[in-house]
Amino acid sequence: MVFQDTIKISPQEKGATDITDFVRDIIIESKIKIGICQLFAQNSCSSLLIHDTADENIQKQTIDFLAQLAPDNDGITKEIDKSMDAIPEEMRVSILQTSVSFPISRGRPVLGIWQGIYLWEKTTQPNERKLTVTIIGE
Amino acid sequence: MVHQQKLRFSTTGRGTYNITKQISEAIEKTGIKSGVCHVFIQHTSASLILCENADKTVREDLNAYMARLVQDGDSLFKHKDEGPDDMAAHIRTILTQSSLSIPIYKGKCDLGLWQGIFLWEHRTNSHKRNISLTMMGE
Repeated sequence: MVFQDTIKISPQEKGATDITDFVRDIIIESKIKIGICQLFAQNSCSSLLIHDTADENIQKQTIDFLAQLAPDNDGITKEIDKSMDAIPEEMRVSILQTSVSFPISRGRPVLGIWQGIYLWEKTTQPNERKLTVTIIGE
Repeated sequence: MVHQQKLRFSTTGRGTYNITKQISEAIEKTGIKSGVCHVFIQHTSASLILCENADKTVREDLNAYMARLVQDGDSLFKHKDEGPDDMAAHIRTILTQSSLSIPIYKGKCDLGLWQGIFLWEHRTNSHKRNISLTMMGE
């Protein structure tokens, strides 16, 4: 059986937002007990991550680290017609992932104790984000 | 048809561990001839990669490259409750993969001749790592 839906996430602050509960509810709604869930971000301005839920410092440090990898004021990035941080942010998003997939067992996502699903928002002026959810199983 | 099972591995510290054989055996046991095997690691300080399997210096170089890219004890890090490798391990995980999808073809794990599936332990101490396999097909 295949269950597919588009979910809309209201504009979030720049950085990581925990969407685990939201995704769990959709899996319950699908009534699929065993299988795979794939989430796919339908834009180039946000990414999906499976990351640690234990300490909020981890999210902040990840933002700082990515900022160090692709600095906002890096001379090699040429500004086109976007906000000042747009090009480095696209580099950060390209390092991260546009989709994540994880198992479903007994109708629930199979995540480790310290794992959560995060939407990574790259811009300070985000739009609503659409995610495609595909759940395959029985 | 959906088959699900857990694999558990003991690591002896930072480095790559070839887990291809255990995954191939799990696929062959299911009797699925054509489908997909989804491999998911239930941790945020260890990850999965598909990598060259013949020359171990490839993985040694990857380890050296990653150690240069993400430095243990970077002064940027605040999350260091479990030592200087703690935050670095979380970043190394999001820069690699938490899940892989591999085709099942003619009842076998359909990897290229020189491809192997590796668990990449990012912590410097030994750990027990859980992997969830979901195999779907017919």
